[in-house]
Amino acid sequence: MSRVARQLKFLNKISSSTLEPQVVLNSQKYAGLNLTFQYQNHNGHMGARKFWHEYMPTLQFYNPGLQFQVTRVKNEDKNNAGVPCVLQTIGKDGSVLETLDMRDKQHSEIMQEFLEKADYEKVPESDIVRV
Amino acid sequence: MFSGLSSRFLPLVRASPVRRLHVSASLRAEEPVGNATSKLSKDQLKKREVRRFAQKKAAARRPASEHPLYMPVDKALRFLRAAEVGQPQSQQTLSVTTIVISERGAPLLSGNVSFPNALKELKIAVFTNDEQQAQIAREKFNCHVVGGSELVEKIKQGQVPLDFDKSFATPEIATLLASQLGRILGPRGLLPAAKKGTVSENLESLIKDSMGTLPFRQRGNNISIAVGRCSFTDKQLLENIVAAQKSVKEALANQKAKKPSLLGQTTLTSTRGPGIVIDFA
Repeated sequence: MSRVARQLKFLNKISSSTLEPQVVLNSQKYAGLNLTFQYQNHNGHMGARKFWHEYMPTLQFYNPGLQFQVTRVKNEDKNNAGVPCVLQTIGKDGSVLETLDMRDKQHSEIMQEFLEKADYEKVPESDIVRV
Repeated sequence: MFSGLSSRFLPLVRASPVRRLHVSASLRAEEPVGNATSKLSKDQLKKREVRRFAQKKAAARRPASEHPLYMPVDKALRFLRAAEVGQPQSQQTLSVTTIVISERGAPLLSGNVSFPNALKELKIAVFTNDEQQAQIAREKFNCHVVGGSELVEKIKQGQVPLDFDKSFATPEIATLLASQLGRILGPRGLLPAAKKGTVSENLESLIKDSMGTLPFRQRGNNISIAVGRCSFTDKQLLENIVAAQKSVKEALANQKAKKPSLLGQTTLTSTRGPGIVIDFA
């Protein structure tokens, strides 16, 4: 694969080839999302990290006005399961509207559960950017 | 017959250690020579270089919009912000990188860029033994580090962190700086020198002129300038990119080369994001 083709694939992954997070969240209601999880995978934090890496870029791409914040905590001790692994939906006034526990879940499961509760519209086919 | 030859030969070799040393050394020296020489003759190599240079120049003349990775800046920023999502603010630096195509031996491009929307506060170091000048630097311009010979000694021993972006000096200390700190400051482009216009009797006017400007210089074949952070608005970033473009053009116009250099492909990129080709020339 050439340098340019690889780059195009990377860009398309953000804008068109990742299907699940191609949604426009209701900007009247939401100000953004806050995620908190560990740097390390143990105690079921892998799904949260994958959610951030796989889906958040696309979510940001189609919701340029929203603020997405990721807080990662360093926790080398595997016996310490006290670090929260949550996704918080932030409302317009800065309050937490909903909290979703991401522990022990795959990234696709997290996305599904988030979309079940959230107020959103699918991005129309005509608005999807293909490079 | 072979054994007879070796038996005749061996005593000779054993008898003179100097000779044996010579034989083995010359063998070793001969080995890599056979592998390293190129199959092309000198003439062909020269032709190839000329051809490649012409190709590079032709590529630079083509408009950026023909490149498959070309995007208007606002669309590029949307992609870069998406790629940087969730990263710490301080690590989301956007930068513009331009390829410079110049003749061999042309002086490297360098200059100063003043951004309408500053990335960070500029930190200035002032070297002087003149108490009066030091006072001005400290009070009027709030310089990061100010000092004379004692500061030079401290930097040499690594007691003072090198976290400033620019440095100035008065002539009486310039030679001391060059001899003591040339090795430390030189590679970072921080060494004050008369040629660069950073050594002067009157530091006040010098600092005043360069307040709010950031130095940039060519490294290898390209110039890279940090223009902003993802948290800037599109308008702020565009203003900064235009400012960077202006100062690169200026540096290009002031370059003392036989043939003017060309600007090649320009990419806008972020710390972790993709490089996207933009219009710059």
